[in-house]
Amino acid sequence: MSLFSFLGTLEIGLIFGLVAIGVYLTFRVLDFPDLTVDGSFTMGAAIAAAMIVSGINPYIATVCAVIGGAAAGMVTAWLNLRFNILHLLASILTMTALYTINLRIMGKPNVALIMEPTVLSPFEALGLSNMYLKLIFVAVVVVMIGLAIAYFLNTQYGMGMRATGANPRMAQANGIVIKQKIYAGLALSNGLVALAGALFAQTNGFADSTMGIGTIVVGLAAVIVGESLFGSRSMLVIIFSCIIGSLLYRLAVSVALNADFLGFTTSDLNLITALLVGLALIVPHIRREQKARKAAALGGEA
Amino acid sequence: MISCKDIKVTFNAGLATEKRALRGVDLEIPQGEFVTVIGSNGAGKSTLLNTIAGDISASSGRLLFDAWDVTKVSAAGRTADVARVFQDPLAGTCGNMTVEENMALAYGRGKRGGLLPALNDDLRVLFREQLKRLNLGLENRLDAEMGLLSGGQRQSVSLLMSALQPSKILLLDEHTAALDPKTAALVMDITDQIVEEKKLTVMMVTHSMRQALDHGTRTIMMHEGKVMFDLKGSERSNYEVKDLLNLFAKARGDGEELDDDKLLLGA
Ligand SMILES: Nc1ncnc2c1ncn2[C@@H]1O[C@H](COP(=O)(O)OP(=O)(O)OP(=O)(O)O)[C@@H](O)[C@H]1O
Ligand SMILES: [Mg+2]
Repeated sequence: MSLFSFLGTLEIGLIFGLVAIGVYLTFRVLDFPDLTVDGSFTMGAAIAAAMIVSGINPYIATVCAVIGGAAAGMVTAWLNLRFNILHLLASILTMTALYTINLRIMGKPNVALIMEPTVLSPFEALGLSNMYLKLIFVAVVVVMIGLAIAYFLNTQYGMGMRATGANPRMAQANGIVIKQKIYAGLALSNGLVALAGALFAQTNGFADSTMGIGTIVVGLAAVIVGESLFGSRSMLVIIFSCIIGSLLYRLAVSVALNADFLGFTTSDLNLITALLVGLALIVPHIRREQKARKAAALGGEA
Repeated sequence: MISCKDIKVTFNAGLATEKRALRGVDLEIPQGEFVTVIGSNGAGKSTLLNTIAGDISASSGRLLFDAWDVTKVSAAGRTADVARVFQDPLAGTCGNMTVEENMALAYGRGKRGGLLPALNDDLRVLFREQLKRLNLGLENRLDAEMGLLSGGQRQSVSLLMSALQPSKILLLDEHTAALDPKTAALVMDITDQIVEEKKLTVMMVTHSMRQALDHGTRTIMMHEGKVMFDLKGSERSNYEVKDLLNLFAKARGDGEELDDDKLLLGA
């Protein structure tokens, strides 16, 4: 793997670390499996790209992208909480609707940003090569957000969110308004994913209406890889294991694609992802079974 | 403190499975009274407590805490006044959070959850102090995951949690039923201490006639969604377990003698 593609892999891995944090918030913290992210990732990219192209400041465009993603998450929460639509189904509805909305936002299937200003433009004067600048910028943003989310999950509000997912009845008995936490959690999660989309569009120079497909699986893969490596209860460790999981996942995929003897091509990416996620789910399961069998055998002798 | 005015609760109204769990409960519980609630399975005891806590909203009737009409207030909205301990030790705590995190959640009950850290060293000192009362060594396991504790330990912590914030009403639904006799006695002991300290108004559901008479200041018996007997004062102090059992037999409408001090199945 060339240095250039290695740095590129790290950069995408970091950006998808935000997706992984978002997925962790819904799937693990709130116990609300949310597939909206496939749509909100694209939405973040679409809003940022469309606004930048029309001459709006990239930072304002990025903030609007986050708000758009958060709104999409709220729609999913609303469908589920107000009308009792199953969370998975509610999120698939939003995601499907977003496909059209994103096309409308961009006005065409893709928007190029190559010559446009981006959130990186103010730092270009530093004289760093673009390759490193992008990586450092993304790393700083992702680490700061990681710290902020870890802090948030340890606040009274954030802990209430965790209780909402872990034991809603207990949460309620302790005065936590669980609907409010679900709205907030889905908004936060999809806002982060949209931010990832907006950053991706600006660092890679384009937004595309299909770029979000499979985002959820990649996010889940990162969460699961992270979880299987670090078994901690500390929020800081958990959030950073999402980011590291995302980096490792990207590296694994790029190694798999680069290893000629494996014969994979870019179009095999989805199969590789499915295999990785599958492995990450199957291995701990088998380990648990073996442990149980061993314990049972020991018990039998005693 | 608690006034129930003709409270009715019907589950699955209009369906074949319609169930009238409460059929008009009228109850006045003054401040500081400790009411033990007995009755056979399905009598509506849990439904009554859940209605007071706000988990279930009454189909008709009114519920007041002093002058505050809470009939339409959500469960979370009532928690400034109401604390509770569930029958199931798993229900009152979050298994995947630590002991101190669970206590911090309970410490935030009735307050607006803000963006300040939920835990700090002052709180840890307070939590440790509280946990010492249990004599279970939990004061050294603040950062242990709740799910690793035994049912009795979890229930004891739930009870402490219910008292971390001032409240006026404490609802206990068979909170010692899942515990071994020794732990149950310990939990009852701490219950009495907390109630005494905080001058709480208490409703405690139990299936043990002994517990029902030994604790509290008043005993009500529920049957088929209504309050069947209401014992207090000197009348109550003259009651023995066997008198209660006779009441039960009467409620069931058969002359059959019951000799266990626990009430068994049948409604
Ligand atoms: N959510 C519900 N939906 C339908 N029926 C219910 C529901 N909850 C309770 N019931 C029914 O209402 C009646 C009263 O139930 P409740 O749980 O209040 O009884 P209980 O007195 O607490 O009994 P136990 O001693 O077994 O705990 C029962 O017949 C029960 O089946
Ligand atoms: Mg019950």
